[in-house]
Amino acid sequence: MAEPMELLCWGGDWDLPSVHTDSLIVLAYAKFSDAKLAVKSIDWTWRTITASVPQLHYEGSAVTEPTQILNFLRKQRFNADYELTAKQGADTMAYIALLEEKLRPALLHTFWVDAENYANLTRPWFTSHSPFPLNFFVPGRQASLALSRILLTKAESPLLNITEVEGKIYSEAKECLNLLSHRLGNFHFFFGDTPTSLDAFVFGHIAPLIKAPLPSGQLQKHLNQLDNLCQFCNTILKNYFTDASAEKRTDCSPTAIHDPVDANLQKLTQLVNKESNLIEKMDDNLRSSPQHRPHRHESKPLALAGERNSTPPS
Amino acid sequence: MSLAAEAFVSQIAAAEPWPEKATLYQPLKEDQILLSDSASSLAVQTFLRMCGLPVQVSCCANAEYMSPSGKVPFIHVGNQVVSELGPIVQYIKAKGHSLSDGLDDVQRAEMKAYMELVNNMLLTAELYIQWCDDYTATEISRPRYSSPYSWPLNHILAYQKQWEVRRKMNAIGWSGKSLEQVYEDVSQCCQALSQRLGTQPYFFNKQPTELDALVFGHLFTILTTQLTNDELAEKVKSYTNLLSFCHHSKTSK
Repeated sequence: MAEPMELLCWGGDWDLPSVHTDSLIVLAYAKFSDAKLAVKSIDWTWRTITASVPQLHYEGSAVTEPTQILNFLRKQRFNADYELTAKQGADTMAYIALLEEKLRPALLHTFWVDAENYANLTRPWFTSHSPFPLNFFVPGRQASLALSRILLTKAESPLLNITEVEGKIYSEAKECLNLLSHRLGNFHFFFGDTPTSLDAFVFGHIAPLIKAPLPSGQLQKHLNQLDNLCQFCNTILKNYFTDASAEKRTDCSPTAIHDPVDANLQKLTQLVNKESNLIEKMDDNLRSSPQHRPHRHESKPLALAGERNSTPPS
Repeated sequence: MSLAAEAFVSQIAAAEPWPEKATLYQPLKEDQILLSDSASSLAVQTFLRMCGLPVQVSCCANAEYMSPSGKVPFIHVGNQVVSELGPIVQYIKAKGHSLSDGLDDVQRAEMKAYMELVNNMLLTAELYIQWCDDYTATEISRPRYSSPYSWPLNHILAYQKQWEVRRKMNAIGWSGKSLEQVYEDVSQCCQALSQRLGTQPYFFNKQPTELDALVFGHLFTILTTQLTNDELAEKVKSYTNLLSFCHHSKTSK
């Protein structure tokens, strides 16, 4: 077997395998596509300031940035998207762009710019996970990068002050979360019953927001009201990342024996589900009329939508 | 604008009908306007045409400085000034005209997502090619951008704009990209749009929406603008359904 691929990323906390959004995206995708990665955390090493995380090392070459790493994994035949239709692949790109434009500025603000969160949660965490003397520099550097990114992309000339931009980015982020919730509906994952790269991206963005114990988190409160997104996050954590948290609790031996059998059964069930999904999608495409939409709306958990889906959005 | 002020403005907006003398401001068409601004301006004009709202296009050298957000184009309606496609769509919706009312929530989510895709990839790629590629910046962007001004203001303004755009590229991580990678990104974006469009005349149902206006604005401008090389236009041309979408939208306006 070829030597395993090595991934450098930030360490985990708060029930998550990593606290860093981009690292989470790569970790989740690796789990979805069954790619075996040797995960090396950069905590307490000099790489906290020298490396751009996440970074994948394989046979001497290094790949950074989540999209590049996902492309690389796909070329190595670890593809979680092979069943998506062309249109779904296009939708994936569009939703990822939506996440980057609308949600990421607010996430950066919540963790790095908001004074209370930064002083009580983010800075202590990153300081305690960096070696001396880097612990003085790492959080500050990340914070200033985050602030400049928000200001340069979102603040237009009369809004040069960060406080005026805040209102705008939070309202855009809330709208983005609502849109994601509408799109997810009652399904387990965004495209049927198996997770794809879009699920990895959404998971990477919202998991820290759900799990981090933020002192002041208006976006977190908003997200907690969207049950299906919280459910989505917990499902992924339970199904794909329980090995990590189970190891910590040292009671993994009985579950390990059941894992191969369950995994096979799970794969078989997934295949059957995929088949039926494909047939359903073909059916939908053939008809492609709005009359199929109502039963998705009726069963939506959001009370606001309900039957009144003809009124303009709030 | 704060959220309360926005709500207040949209209430006022709803009260008045669309005036006859609404104006859209953009930089000078022949000499000054660049690819990205021209694309945004065409998108807004197409959107207004699709809504059936008449607007006069006025070209001014200082349009960028007149705009409330610093970006062009902007429209002057009654006693309000609104810039950029997103706020303009909301403003016009407050007035009672909307192209996306027929969409359900999931489709609206998709439409917003695709609009962000165009903004995130196409617009950023256009800005990159114009200002971060040294050859294009020297031959085309800087001379055009500063053409209405005299020395030394033209140099100062051109370099200031270039520096601003390069800072922004740096912040979002595009400064490490090579030109080939940017062309590749444009190609992927066009592929996504092409796959979403399929064989339909518009992106959603049979009615055009703001997404159609935005895509048409960008693609048509890319196809008809002369840059230092034709590679950008070639990337778009390789998707035939996008070409026919542009033709169709152009003729049906």
